[in-house]
Amino acid sequence: MIREELDRRLPEVEEKLIRIERTADNRIYLLCEAEQVYDVCAFLFDELALRFVISTGLDAEHCFEVLHHFSDDECGAVVTVKAFIRDRAAPEIESITPLIPGAEWIEREMHDILGIDFKNHPNLKRLVLADDWPEGVYPLRKEVQL
Amino acid sequence: MNWKMWSLKKSVWVFHVNTGACNNCDIEIVNLLTPKFDVERFGIKLVGSPRHADALLVTGGGTRQAAIRLREVYRQTAKPCVVFCMGACACGMGIFEGGYHMAGPIDEIVKEVDPNAIIAYVPGCPPKPEAMISGVVKALAAI
Amino acid sequence: MMEALTNLFWILIFPGFVFTLAIGLVASWLVRKVGALVQYRVGPPVYQPAVDVMKLMGKEILIPQEAQRAVFVTAPLVGLSGVLLLATMLWLAGAQIGFVGDIIVALYLMVLPSLALILGSSASGSPHAAVGAAREMKLVLSYELPLVLAFVVVIIKTAGRLEPGEQLSLVALSQQAPVMSISGLLAFLVALLCVQAKLGFVPFDIAESETEVASGVMIEYSGALLAVWKLMQTLMLVALPLFLVVVFLGGIGTSLGGLLSGIGKYVLIVVLVILIKNTNPRVRIDQAMRFFWFYCGGALVAAVILATLGNYYGLAWL
Repeated sequence: MIREELDRRLPEVEEKLIRIERTADNRIYLLCEAEQVYDVCAFLFDELALRFVISTGLDAEHCFEVLHHFSDDECGAVVTVKAFIRDRAAPEIESITPLIPGAEWIEREMHDILGIDFKNHPNLKRLVLADDWPEGVYPLRKEVQL
Repeated sequence: MNWKMWSLKKSVWVFHVNTGACNNCDIEIVNLLTPKFDVERFGIKLVGSPRHADALLVTGGGTRQAAIRLREVYRQTAKPCVVFCMGACACGMGIFEGGYHMAGPIDEIVKEVDPNAIIAYVPGCPPKPEAMISGVVKALAAI
Repeated sequence: MMEALTNLFWILIFPGFVFTLAIGLVASWLVRKVGALVQYRVGPPVYQPAVDVMKLMGKEILIPQEAQRAVFVTAPLVGLSGVLLLATMLWLAGAQIGFVGDIIVALYLMVLPSLALILGSSASGSPHAAVGAAREMKLVLSYELPLVLAFVVVIIKTAGRLEPGEQLSLVALSQQAPVMSISGLLAFLVALLCVQAKLGFVPFDIAESETEVASGVMIEYSGALLAVWKLMQTLMLVALPLFLVVVFLGGIGTSLGGLLSGIGKYVLIVVLVILIKNTNPRVRIDQAMRFFWFYCGGALVAAVILATLGNYYGLAWL
């Protein structure tokens, strides 16, 4: 969709977000808490018909962040949903795989490497770590020394 | 030199193994086998099975997953055979040194199976096809 | 006793194993060299196929744990012996030594290499080899029927010139050249494509396709057993075009002129095989089956009708 329509329709979901950030002309971040991520992604995927690109998981010092990137191919904008997981001891977030089957493997990779538990994920098995890698050691967490 | 070694030098069949490379070295190996460099005049041919091969062209640093498979492929290669470590990652893990997912450089992985393995190193990131040809010729002359 | 020794000499030295192997190695080099020249590059040197076989003899033989050892080891030898006997028989037919019914023996011997390939790969205990064996089986089912029908066309065309009891003799068939007629030409072209498939060359090298099934049928073979397979393929490169020369193009002949023209005919067929090999991509197995059964079969039905009409009306060029 064209840029003006995107700008006009994004505030419809604003009550579920912390805020909307625009770091560049075609780069929009929707910050939200972990509980809202499924509804926000459903809005972007179903209502606005954006294309799911990839997800990112990262370990910020005081919380985990899961980013889902959506692309608007017509106007070239990338809309990112940034979900904060505040509980560092047992991080969990709702999986968007029932909505977007293409997200299955990237969520498996985030689970392998960061230890984030995705609820309602159909197939949360080991993907990228070696078969003989010990359980419960998540390599990309900041406290793990390898 | 006996007829076995002489015929091995004149007809080297290669099998390409990727143990976790970024594909740069793989592209250069495939370039090597195109008609432009014409390695068939040295008797070098690409084969589809390690059992037919005389030389293993190994690219990539040895990841933990690939190390198990590389040992199996080495055992399946009919001896005598030569292992060529192509690229900086295969020679000594390259920029992945110290990574949590690496099991070691290729020569340590192969020497666990066979301490007397013949291993040749072709450094570069990626090595040019001319460098690979030069490496193969020097290794075969030194056997 | 003397006869047994003579036969042994014929089979093993001349014109059997050693002689055919020498010609086959040169023909095999020719295939690779012409392929290289077509691709604007210099190919391998003349001794390359011989060095390949020598090197394979010097490597160790690895037999997979799940392979059926007896069949795995004897299948290449069975294939090699089949081709060897076929080549010996064909050379001797050129020298006018044969027997009635030897074309039937030749047809049976021609199936033996493909059968040995299927048995050997089935005994390998590997899923890649199983896929290769299944493909080879389907390919053999496809091209055997057109091949036999092509020879039926040749036999139809001998009506009136040969006694009914003598028609099944290679020596008698090699006295005429059926390719000089329309139905004979059709049958020759179909038989040429069947020979291309039997040799395992592109566009019909489906069983041993390297990039698809990691050299399917021969994936578990190594060392001396692989060398025997390569020897079998080398001998087939002599035996099968020679079969086409004897049956379609008028044989080899014992006089000097006949010998030279026979060698020329053999070189012609090898060149045709190389040209088809270098200008075509590989086809899928279902495309190959459809090609052999419908198109080649249809062409052969037309050839049989033309040959019968030619015999009925006495027109030799039909």
